Amino acid sequence: MRTFLIILITSVFANVLKGQQYNTNLISKDLLAHSSAVIRNEEKEVTVEDLDNTLVRFKTAITVLNKNGDQYAVIQLPHDKNNLIKYVKGYIYNDIGIQIGKFSESNFDDGNAWDGFSLFIDTKVKHYAPSVPTYPYTVYYEYIIKLKQTLALPSWEPILDFGISVEKSSYLISCKPNFNIKYQETKVPNQVIIGKDKNENITYFWSAENLKALKREQYSPYFKSVAVGVNIVPEKYSFYGIEGNIVNWEQFGKWMYEKLVSDRQSLSEETIEKIKDLTKDITDPKLKAKRIYEYVQSKTHYVSVQVGIGGWQPFLASDVDKQNYGDCKALVNYTQALLKAVDINSYYCVVKSGRDYKINMPDKLPGLFGDHIILCLPFKNDTTWADCTSQTIPFGYLGDFTDDRTVLACTPEGGKILHTPKYKTEDNTEFRKAIFEISNNGLLSGTMITNFKGTDYEDREYLFNEPQTEQYKMVQKTYPINNMEIEKLDLKQDKNFNPTTTETIKLHAADYASFADGKLYFMLNPANRFKHLPKNEVNRINDVYINRGYTEKDEVVFILPPNYHSEKQPLEVILEKPFGKFSASMELKGNQLIYKRKLQIFDGTYSKDNYSDLVDFFQTVIDSDDYTVSLIKN
Amino acid sequence: MKIITFLSFIILINTSLLAQDFPFGSISKNDLVMKNYSLDTSAHAVVLQEFGKSRITIGNDDRIKLFFDYHVKVKIFDDKGFDNGTVKVHLYNNSDNDSYEEISGIQGITVFNDENGIQQEVELEKKKIYPEKINKHWAVYTFALPGLKKGCVIEYKYSIESPYFLENLHNWEFQSDVPKIYSEYEVHIPAFFTYKASIRGVLKLSKNSATIESKCFESHGASCDCSLLIYGMDNIPAFIEEDYMTSSKNFMSAINFELEEWINPYNGVKTKATKEWKDIDYQLKTEQAIGGQIKRKGLFKDKLNGILAGKVSEIDKAKSIYEFIQKNIKWNKFWGIYSSDGIGKALDSKSGSVADINFALVAALNAAGLNGSAVFLSTRDNGSINTLYPGTGDFNYVVARVDIGDQFYLLDATDPLLPFGILPLKCLNDKGRVFSLDKPSYWMDLNLPQKEVTSRVMEFTLQENGKIKGTILNYYKGYEGYQQRVKIKKFNSTEEYVEDLSTKWSKVKIIKSEIINLDSLNLPLGESYEVEINLFDKNNSDKLSFNPFFMHRIETNPFKLADRSYPVDWGMASDDRYILTMHLPSNYIIEKQPSPIGFSLPNSGGKFLSAFDGTENTFTFSNIIQFTKSIYSAEEYPYLKELYNKIIQTEKAEIVFKKK
Repeated sequence: MRTFLIILITSVFANVLKGQQYNTNLISKDLLAHSSAVIRNEEKEVTVEDLDNTLVRFKTAITVLNKNGDQYAVIQLPHDKNNLIKYVKGYIYNDIGIQIGKFSESNFDDGNAWDGFSLFIDTKVKHYAPSVPTYPYTVYYEYIIKLKQTLALPSWEPILDFGISVEKSSYLISCKPNFNIKYQETKVPNQVIIGKDKNENITYFWSAENLKALKREQYSPYFKSVAVGVNIVPEKYSFYGIEGNIVNWEQFGKWMYEKLVSDRQSLSEETIEKIKDLTKDITDPKLKAKRIYEYVQSKTHYVSVQVGIGGWQPFLASDVDKQNYGDCKALVNYTQALLKAVDINSYYCVVKSGRDYKINMPDKLPGLFGDHIILCLPFKNDTTWADCTSQTIPFGYLGDFTDDRTVLACTPEGGKILHTPKYKTEDNTEFRKAIFEISNNGLLSGTMITNFKGTDYEDREYLFNEPQTEQYKMVQKTYPINNMEIEKLDLKQDKNFNPTTTETIKLHAADYASFADGKLYFMLNPANRFKHLPKNEVNRINDVYINRGYTEKDEVVFILPPNYHSEKQPLEVILEKPFGKFSASMELKGNQLIYKRKLQIFDGTYSKDNYSDLVDFFQTVIDSDDYTVSLIKN
Repeated sequence: MKIITFLSFIILINTSLLAQDFPFGSISKNDLVMKNYSLDTSAHAVVLQEFGKSRITIGNDDRIKLFFDYHVKVKIFDDKGFDNGTVKVHLYNNSDNDSYEEISGIQGITVFNDENGIQQEVELEKKKIYPEKINKHWAVYTFALPGLKKGCVIEYKYSIESPYFLENLHNWEFQSDVPKIYSEYEVHIPAFFTYKASIRGVLKLSKNSATIESKCFESHGASCDCSLLIYGMDNIPAFIEEDYMTSSKNFMSAINFELEEWINPYNGVKTKATKEWKDIDYQLKTEQAIGGQIKRKGLFKDKLNGILAGKVSEIDKAKSIYEFIQKNIKWNKFWGIYSSDGIGKALDSKSGSVADINFALVAALNAAGLNGSAVFLSTRDNGSINTLYPGTGDFNYVVARVDIGDQFYLLDATDPLLPFGILPLKCLNDKGRVFSLDKPSYWMDLNLPQKEVTSRVMEFTLQENGKIKGTILNYYKGYEGYQQRVKIKKFNSTEEYVEDLSTKWSKVKIIKSEIINLDSLNLPLGESYEVEINLFDKNNSDKLSFNPFFMHRIETNPFKLADRSYPVDWGMASDDRYILTMHLPSNYIIEKQPSPIGFSLPNSGGKFLSAFDGTENTFTFSNIIQFTKSIYSAEEYPYLKELYNKIIQTEKAEIVFKKK
């Protein structure tokens, strides 16, 4: 599933500083730790002149300490006919703050924005990469951008990324007396200063000094929830010539629906008739909707083209009907139009997508937010969700891209904040059963059946529709069984409301077990060894964040050559922690060895004190997964 | 490589009967009802017909131009075949001299049978063709065929008019990742221009004709006949890539063209383009963006005194100059064998392309009185080089070479972490052409003695409390040193690297660490650690089993396929040594020791050795994995696979020691 792109044009402003200030010796020691670049002084000044006229003045000086920091000195200025670059210029200083170069707009390349998946984006980007072969160096630049809109106001994000520290950063927004704003602060160190300038404009000023670089840690909460920042939304605005008010989500959702979506849904009589005909034998509205969703899946495919209204307006439904392609907005809009043709009500929902974090719509700050559109079908007591960008997922299945978070449903009655369903620890399952025979020459052979549900349902999606030889190659890479040869592979998907993928593999692997000095050795856990030991962070800063829970169950029966008994202590592990449970055991019964393993992880945020426990937990899992059976001949 | 010398079998016939392009929109019922491609039932799509035509003729602006037409019809079976419906056409734009390639006549259509079995069509709309500028050299036209659905047939065509007619006669790729039923390429070349064509890959042409079109080229009184060449291939299988191979281009079937000579139609002057290396040498030498840059020794006049201060021997001088260029021009990620803005500008702006940087290096070496030359090559991704016939068309990269005494060194100053005399892996591809201003050029082998060498020496003592104390000393030489430096430099400091390492080594606690020669690129990189290892459960210390590979163990074979079609190409030889010495407390003895292993590849291609040497309570375990070649043929593949199986078997083995 893919999102659509929104480029918000942000920018900054400051006093002209003399080069000597950029001597890198002046940077305090604690700003150097874990840093590849230091923001020396950044000033962003936003002036709302009018509803369709915002000036952004930006000035920054950034010291690049080493090669890793080069990327932060690259200047990229998105622009289009509604976002005009008034001017840009800059200077380059060496390590002791002596000017060694300068640049202006003529040094910039200009090309279309590119996000890696869109066919076309009509936003252009001016781009300049300073080239300084010796470190450290400092780049100072300033620019002014005029935005012909006031809905997407620049935010303040002084810490661009992990590994960047900040000496000084500030943000000033100045508004005409009748232009009101709302804002949401995250971790701001200094209280906002609200004042008035000489023209009676209201000004809001935020600043920060000496922000240390944030370290990237595994199992960390969302970056923007721990980094300093301020988001701002207007009360009254103009967006690409369309005016509106934001009082609350209800009103903003209504505006989105009326101005961006409602007039995009007309379909030809022919198409309406076709859809009616397609569903005429189905009475249950949910099954009707399923039929239509599957029709859209078979008819359309995802192509992202971002043109007009900042990338926020869907293509016409009639256009999708003809072209058979569209991005998430277009495909949801089209599906919604088809549903309407058979009187099924549905909502066009804005969501912030992402597999790594579940990010809600900001409660208290209604406004332009999110990067993806999904569909909600409010059946009575059975609200159903659909992502229209995939040709393969089952109806009603969201997967890990948009689950368990709030979304804005844009409806004619107004916006509604809804919550998408959650896939819980017990829903996301990977259950495996295998019976393997180990022969006298060390050959492992048998059949292994795995069921995937919940968000794990999609784990084998990449194998479907691939040629058999490619499937075999990919499966060989998935499992850690050395010398694994696949005799038969069978994949099934049950696309019902609780979808399941079933994988059945008949396989053999030469030399899986080895014989030496009358002993038999082999790895107890053939298929599912945990690999990603979290790093053992000693001075953990962040809380432990687990985005998604899951359950794995493995049961393997090994049929052994006769007359062996166990040499060492059989494996027996039971662990129970707030964030997870693990058990593994083996039992030798005659010539059968039965191995059982169960791993459960519970999503949530745990205090950072739990981190070393988490590392130990997974270390135990890994040790147990690496257990080598050692049997001795009677 | 098979070379078709088409001139020898030209037949004179009326060629107008041979016009080969198929009519647009002629999609048959059979194409639409086809359920799968019988020769490859797993294909997501198949090219039903593909036609290309290149001709050199006079454009509307009265200039000689290259016209290229492309036309294709693709059957799409399922949604994984939809990618074929997104088309990107790249155009070369030289904004410096206002020469643009232009695209015209884009037409696209999707045809399918609807639910009622009635044939429907959707046409590509003009406004849904998106032109985009990528950078100052390239633009791209993008479009998505409309109305795609499973079972549909898409068809599109376009024409490109190019002022770059001489050197850019389009090559034709018969084979791609989609199978093709028929692909044909038609080339019209006025007799003023002579190209040589070479076919690559193992597939056979099913059509191969050469005829003469009389008086096909006329301009300002000059006129000549054209050769009309037609190449066709049918039932072309999809190309399937394998792991550890070089560019698939080397193996995919295609036809390549290179200009051999041309006669200026207006004054009759003949220019041999690729006939002989001495002509190419002259061309390169006089080319402003190549020879014109290499000769700019004067640029370094003032700088050399500083760079060479205190350097006496030629090798030290060469190293200083290499370092100077590395540190003073940053690579702007542009490739190619032509300097873009000249080395003077590169030095001033401290930014340059591969050619800018390495030409500057050659010029500086020569300015210092050293014997520097440029080496043109084709990177691994770009495919192999045709060395049978002289030509520069295959080159896409250039490095510097310096000869000192009877030794030579290859240098690439684009990467500040590369040691003197080591080339990046991407350059290690077959052969390079050594070019200098004053001597004839010649081929040199790029399968260099360059190697990846790692040695790990661990010395451990088992403590009474079950913990292991000791030292780890790793040395990385040659290319491995470079790779390891790249890893370390990803961190902002060596402290941060070690900190990260200690978080990854779960059972190993780093007490003291030292990174040796991190910035002395020409010396082996060393990592030395004093460690404490918590390997054993202390409640169970009467009998301990110890896997000597507990830190670096290979668990599964990188080679999984039973057979292989293409060579395994690692780019360079490697040598990996590991020695572990363990001292046990005096009350312990070794109960079980691993048996020695020796396994060699045929033709001294490499070996795996493992040995154990133990006295009462001290043992040394040593292990060598050596690959002496950079490329292993498909026939050698089973041995490579078996060698890895032996390694994996051995690395399972445990050493058991117990209390007396």
